[in-house]
Amino acid sequence: MSSSTNKSILNKGSAVSENEFCLPVKIFYGHVLDLTDKVDFIFIPRVVSVKKGTYTCPKFLGLPDMIKAIDKPLPKILSPTVNLNLGFKKYYSTILEVGKLFTQSYFKIGYSYVSALKEFKNTKLKQEEEWIKSKKETSEVKIGLVGHDYNIYDSYLTMNLTKRLEALGVKTVTCDSLPSHLIEKEVSTLPKKLFWSYEEEIVGAAFHWLRDRTVDGIIYVLTFACGPDSLIQVLLEHEAKNSSGKIPFMSLVIDEHSGEAGLITRLEAFIDMLGRRETEKVLV
Amino acid sequence: MEGYLGIDVGSVSTNLVIINRENRIIASVYTRTMGRPIEAVQRGMVELNQQLDCEIEIKGAGTTGSARYLTAAMVGADVVKNEITAHAVAAINVIPEVKTVIEIGGQDSKIILLQNKVVVDFAMNTVCAAGTGSFLDHQSARLGVPIEKFGELALKAKNGVQIAGRCSVFAESDMIHKQQMGYCLEEIVYGLCEALVRNYLNNLSKGKEILSPVVFQGGVAANAGMKRAFEEALNVEIIIPPFFNVMGAIGAAILAKEQTEFQPATNFRGFSVSDLEYKTSSFVCAGCSNTCEVVKIQVENETLARWGGRCGKWEVASEKSLNVTCKPAN
Repeated sequence: MSSSTNKSILNKGSAVSENEFCLPVKIFYGHVLDLTDKVDFIFIPRVVSVKKGTYTCPKFLGLPDMIKAIDKPLPKILSPTVNLNLGFKKYYSTILEVGKLFTQSYFKIGYSYVSALKEFKNTKLKQEEEWIKSKKETSEVKIGLVGHDYNIYDSYLTMNLTKRLEALGVKTVTCDSLPSHLIEKEVSTLPKKLFWSYEEEIVGAAFHWLRDRTVDGIIYVLTFACGPDSLIQVLLEHEAKNSSGKIPFMSLVIDEHSGEAGLITRLEAFIDMLGRRETEKVLV
Repeated sequence: MEGYLGIDVGSVSTNLVIINRENRIIASVYTRTMGRPIEAVQRGMVELNQQLDCEIEIKGAGTTGSARYLTAAMVGADVVKNEITAHAVAAINVIPEVKTVIEIGGQDSKIILLQNKVVVDFAMNTVCAAGTGSFLDHQSARLGVPIEKFGELALKAKNGVQIAGRCSVFAESDMIHKQQMGYCLEEIVYGLCEALVRNYLNNLSKGKEILSPVVFQGGVAANAGMKRAFEEALNVEIIIPPFFNVMGAIGAAILAKEQTEFQPATNFRGFSVSDLEYKTSSFVCAGCSNTCEVVKIQVENETLARWGGRCGKWEVASEKSLNVTCKPAN
């Protein structure tokens, strides 16, 4: 695995990528370059669809090809296609295909698939437990963090957002901790189906919090040149303004040139605003 | 007499005020930062001290603006606040029922919406500084019109010429084109104001409801052309408070007053800080691949504060550095 994002990864990545690419793709390039001398294979699946009827963003679809276009020697790239639009039969055969690169034993392949799935489900379950636990706590200020997982969990990209919020005495809940049925429910209220699957998660979580009011505020982390982000940002801001819950909502746009000062100012002001609202509530 | 000091160090201007217990302004200084925040603060302190005609005991100090942490370490502040809260607090102090605050400073612009004296929504310009004071500054230098005369000139115009306001680079080429075509200066200057207002409304308010009373503050509020352009675009009366250009500092002073009510004594080091020699230096940390640029601020060979590192290992405990005792000068 490549190391966690740092300055040299970002610099390496942006040096070889097109200017128009979004920040996460530049970081992805950096991570691949970070691995080049260390490994024999790089696993870059072509994730076309993770849910029936939806797709991932065009950059996701093209990752394995885009990386081949840079003018650098790379290890062999393994890029199986994951496309749940073609049904589970095709999906399982992809898993077999990948597995066969390592072993001839069908049993071993099946076993590692099942244990990986179990691992994933356990993590998800743990997150949901956290979420349920946090719902009961009322003492502290809680903020729902929405955005792509690859942004929210990258502390370099978000400039330590979660840690900073913790330091300000705020508890955060991320959108991937919500159980999927809640997200489905919210997404189904949209007049038109969203095209992308990961974005459904963001929209669903934000809509859910805007209605059930279990968080005090919502922060949406997006990157500057991201296409889907730019569209759902409008959708979310519109909903935040018009929903009856009146949960404060803030978009944080992050770019590779972003200064920390701007981010800190916005965070502090947002938390201040939540704090002053609380005191006001008590007074009224 | 008791007073509270507020300092707002921004990208373009450094503002200092002293208020009394009733939030009335006793002294105020507006000076240019010119890229040297420490010297600007020291210069400001000297000027401020000269304005005082009686003995004043500073009971609290607050800092805001983009150099707020640096300034706080330097003067010994009791409260360090972001600009949004500071501006909102100051606006409420002038007009308690204020619903919208438009603030345009040197490199950022903000919109703050309030209800019953509480901030309910705000926005800042995102990844672009088009439409802020720096751009006006730059254009005034290019047109050979002093920035103080900009507003006066804009008011003389009947109509503004159409200038693209989306991006300041394109706005500039548009202006040059209009000049070459022979449009008069007044109309170009007012056209620029209109373009900036359009840019502000598109980038920041984005459909937010602008309810009156609307308060316009920050250095750019000095430009009467901007006030006129806002009034024409929004169709509401725009109120410019008397101390519009030091509102951030006023907010910081009010917050310092509130803060010091809960603490025994102020951390303020006194006006003598303007005589001390502050040194800043920076180095690149080689601890990990993040290669952070760490800034160090020193006074008389004692390290006051360090920041800029991502991991926090260079950070001097700010509490300690803020509590260095030093007798107030007066």
